[in-house]
Amino acid sequence: MKHLKPLNKKAERLEQAVVDQRVDEVVAMQNVAGCTATTDPGWEVDMFGSVAGLCQPMEADLYGCADPCWWPAQVPDLMNTYPDWDKNAPSAGSDWRKLDTVFPKESK
Amino acid sequence: MATKLMFSQSFHSIRTLVLTTLLLLLGACSQTELKGELKNSASVTTKDYMVVVNRPNRVNLIDLTTNQVERSCQLPGTSAPGTVVMSPDKRIAYVLADHFSNVYGINLDNCELVFSAIQSYANIRIKSLASIAISPDGKEIYTHQNPTRLLSDHFEVMDAQVAVFNTSDGLKAQPVRTYPAPRQVTIMVTDKSGTLYLGAPDIYAMNPATGETRMVIASRGLQTPLFSQRDSLTMWPIGSVSNEFIRLYTTAKYKDESQNLETADWMWGYERIDLNTGEAESREFGPLEVVLFSGMTRPSDKNQMYAVLTQLKKFDVAKQQELMSVDLEHTYYCINFSTDGKKIYLAGTFHDIAIYDADTLEKLGNIQLEGGDMSLSPTQIFAREI
Repeated sequence: MKHLKPLNKKAERLEQAVVDQRVDEVVAMQNVAGCTATTDPGWEVDMFGSVAGLCQPMEADLYGCADPCWWPAQVPDLMNTYPDWDKNAPSAGSDWRKLDTVFPKESK
Repeated sequence: MATKLMFSQSFHSIRTLVLTTLLLLLGACSQTELKGELKNSASVTTKDYMVVVNRPNRVNLIDLTTNQVERSCQLPGTSAPGTVVMSPDKRIAYVLADHFSNVYGINLDNCELVFSAIQSYANIRIKSLASIAISPDGKEIYTHQNPTRLLSDHFEVMDAQVAVFNTSDGLKAQPVRTYPAPRQVTIMVTDKSGTLYLGAPDIYAMNPATGETRMVIASRGLQTPLFSQRDSLTMWPIGSVSNEFIRLYTTAKYKDESQNLETADWMWGYERIDLNTGEAESREFGPLEVVLFSGMTRPSDKNQMYAVLTQLKKFDVAKQQELMSVDLEHTYYCINFSTDGKKIYLAGTFHDIAIYDADTLEKLGNIQLEGGDMSLSPTQIFAREI
């Protein structure tokens, strides 16, 4: 972690957890799913650093990424935070215009 | 008169004999025909079906002879992830749904809801990452649970566990047993003996009667000087047609123990458990040139390996060679075979299923689902009585 600097609150908490030795399960990501702090490439670039290996078209992969909270920064998290994001849009290929940008809600 | 009588008696006897013989022959013919009909009917009383889930809440029974949706039932909740396992008689589909939360059992003959398990309770939120399995006798459902305690100022990650439900408990079933389990499980399958396999960073086998767990395939934990650490992904328990638990991995095969990535060969491999014998193996089967999500060996010939994402590829496992490849009209996550291994069905992502010839990789057609995307839902294919 010495070459990485936290840029947001979540990353700061992760760094603090390392200091507190509470992250013994943080290891190389494999079988990633479920709102993990993954930086695994795949949405913007493929595993070869190119774009030819990305899913085609991107709409085919949209719910496959949103359902398991695969890249929560790039695609809204349907598993926990925005379960209704796809409401009235069952087909990503034909209903994508109904999908909107999401914003964190203020805590009450 | 006596002669006439004798002739008449003889005539009657001969006539009776002839008639009897004819009747016997006819009877024999009828029986032969009947046996033939029964044999023929026995050969056509089963045919291939597919079950798959799609948005917003449908579970579909598809006749793979006509390629038509025979019945589309509605789930009480939402589809994702739509991981589905079938009862042994292939009548009830058990679906993990509601954003990886709950399990529903649907009788596909009449769309009746016959089982449900709502996993979260109080302030404990439980998610199961595509991990659901059924015992070979159909009496128990297994889920891998990731519980989190939702407190007012923070969340507490709790230990992962396997939960066991009795299917006979019907609606709102509660776990009858729970066992400590490895984390990061994204696929589960049972074998013929009832052993439960859990696909995690390594692959584990659990005795669901006792919870006793052992590692059967070291994957991320494998330490070999001539290979890099494996990377694996799967959420598709699809291997029932080939009697296998299978998932793909990638690895770099080094030229020597200097472990130079610049000169390494990148390979696809699979981790596989024979669901008849419990035999476990892992091996490389071809060069890593494109991304692939799911793969299966061909029923009756495990040397033929097929895999899919945006291309459909066929490999010779022993030679570690790619034999054939076709570009697809769009990405599909999930591959599966007809029970005779002659056809390939590609599903997942959108709401069409593509059919390919397994020998030529020629496209044979599409099955369109009413409704929306399958997304991550796997397909289950089986032969069922008509």
